[in-house]
Amino acid sequence: MVSRQHSLATTLNQTLLSRHWVQRRDLLTGLVSRNIKLLYNRSVLGIAWMLINPLMQLMVYAFVFGVLLPNNAVPNFTSFIFSGLLVWTWFQSALTEATGAIVQNRALIRQPGFPVSILPVVNVATGLIHFVLSLPILLLFLWKDGVQLQWGLLLLPLLMLLQFAFTVSLAYVLAAINVTFRDTQHTLGVLLQMLFYFSAVFYQVPGQFAAIFNFNPIYLLIQGYRAILLPVDPAVPVADFNWLPLVGLSGITLAMLPLGHRIFQQQSERFVEEL
Amino acid sequence: MGHGIVVQNLGKKFSTYASDRPRTIMQAALRGFRGLSAAHDFWALRNVSFEVQPGEILGVLGHNGAGKSTLLRLIGGIGRPDEGDIQLRGRIGALLDLGAGFHEDLTGRENLLVSALIGGLTREEALARQGEIIEFAELESFIDNPIRTYSTGMGMRLAFSIAIHTDPQLLLVDEHLSVGDIGFQAKCIARVKALRDQGCAIMLISQTPKQVREVCDRALLLKQGRVAAYSDPETVIGEYEAAMHPDQKPRLPQSARRGEPVLGAQIALTGIELQPQAPFYNGDPLTVELSYRCWKPVSSPIFSIRISHESGAVCLTTNSLTAGLQPSILPGVGRIQLQLERLDLNGGKYFISAGIHSAQWQSLLDYQDLPQPLVVEPTPVIEGLLHPPARWSWMEHSPGPEKQQPVVDVDPAPSPSLA
Repeated sequence: MVSRQHSLATTLNQTLLSRHWVQRRDLLTGLVSRNIKLLYNRSVLGIAWMLINPLMQLMVYAFVFGVLLPNNAVPNFTSFIFSGLLVWTWFQSALTEATGAIVQNRALIRQPGFPVSILPVVNVATGLIHFVLSLPILLLFLWKDGVQLQWGLLLLPLLMLLQFAFTVSLAYVLAAINVTFRDTQHTLGVLLQMLFYFSAVFYQVPGQFAAIFNFNPIYLLIQGYRAILLPVDPAVPVADFNWLPLVGLSGITLAMLPLGHRIFQQQSERFVEEL
Repeated sequence: MGHGIVVQNLGKKFSTYASDRPRTIMQAALRGFRGLSAAHDFWALRNVSFEVQPGEILGVLGHNGAGKSTLLRLIGGIGRPDEGDIQLRGRIGALLDLGAGFHEDLTGRENLLVSALIGGLTREEALARQGEIIEFAELESFIDNPIRTYSTGMGMRLAFSIAIHTDPQLLLVDEHLSVGDIGFQAKCIARVKALRDQGCAIMLISQTPKQVREVCDRALLLKQGRVAAYSDPETVIGEYEAAMHPDQKPRLPQSARRGEPVLGAQIALTGIELQPQAPFYNGDPLTVELSYRCWKPVSSPIFSIRISHESGAVCLTTNSLTAGLQPSILPGVGRIQLQLERLDLNGGKYFISAGIHSAQWQSLLDYQDLPQPLVVEPTPVIEGLLHPPARWSWMEHSPGPEKQQPVVDVDPAPSPSLA
């Protein structure tokens, strides 16, 4: 009888636990799909808008660096820029939105039992959806540029996971800072603009600067994606690609994630108490 | 087994910051990151203890700023207590910010699903329940229109309906039982009672004593973040209404009531007693006895007593000066009595309060309300506050010699043997 009660308690516990995770998953997908609906709900073009932004940017860079300043051109120029742009857009838009995660969601944070730390995850996941939906266009460019896809493509989800976790951990910290200093979002805009030019989105880093660029996590990520997607690029054959900095980045992310999470929780609690 | 809310010795401190605290990175950098810490703290809640059993509704009364909402939020896990402990057993649901997650551009149905997820349901549960939610909110024909086309009442109805359909085992309600029209309000209250009967532990903030009387099993009165009363609704409402008197006076702390010395206090009222107590009939004599404790000599204090109707109307104010009673009081304890030979009050509830003033009414030394009302037993329906022995006589007027006819006698009260 005792043992039966025990097993009953364990099963009950298990179901509670699994219900808990099902609920979290449903909440995450619910909030992400609401975000996407809100973005494209009232526009005629709908979800197509999502692609227009990177495509326009691509046109500008392709014109400037492919036509006006052709000596800097790299092989498979379109695919090269577009891959960089997609990675950058995901990072930049998710980070900018998530920085306001605490300040702009007072009502949600005040909902008892609402898992506040899901908010930046929702922003980054929304960016991920955009990223994934843009991938077919990238594949189209790769096909046009005559790039042969290799086994390395299987590493793509891993890289996306790393970018996801890294962005979330950074977003936790920034959203927390934004509680005390409300201009963080604007300051971030300026900093991101600078970072963009140092992320080698539309150029190849000359050998003598490569060591410095390795300190830029976004540069590392973009190079990683390119190593996978554009393996014929003579500069970075996939087998020779130096994965070590990315492994280091994974380690840093693993350490930053719980830390950022804690700061975020503390600041969101402080925020709702401010009247 | 069992759910419920147990709060022990809860305290919450808020910090106020200097008004020139830097708000942006730029300002902070310019000022060398000074002035970021709190200027001073104050306790919004202190020493609050109570519990809510499953199947029980606790009403929380208090003035604005007494800490009611802070208390509810802390229990909801919003913010962290600085002292004490909150134990919750069961899934919590709340009607704190109604329509918190609503988005104007999405339809009622889309908002419903997201809000139900935010409220703690899984997608499957939310879908299964949406029909019931829409029906309760009476929005069948509008549910697929964007929320921006809704009236405020419609939005609130939807929000309320979602919140009470998330199967909470603990429910926190912040003054939202007055959503929508009378019919909908009745439905909401019925639903809250039904949740209670299913074993849900409910806390309800209310400004309306009537609602607390009708709905709650127990009540808690908060005053400046402290528990002023925690008992059955009737007693707590009595305290609350006594405190609601328009000319609310400063009072000495409870410790002075028990006769403990209080810094700066000269004299305190330690009790008000009525003779007779219940039942009290119209026309009965009433004796009000005040006991006091004095710590420092007081010269010629004035004792005052006031009787007022539950509506707030003052029936009688009298003081010891009218009787030429002006003793000087030395440290010690004592009693003073007011005898009313008969009190011709109509049936109803009356509140009695007493005060001690310094000579020439310069200041109020202490003031106290009798927590329980004086209940005068119902009298045959007559409007107004007074019900003195009355006699109607009809002086008939007829052509011819005048004569008096003592006819109709309408004095229903047992006439006291005064004459």
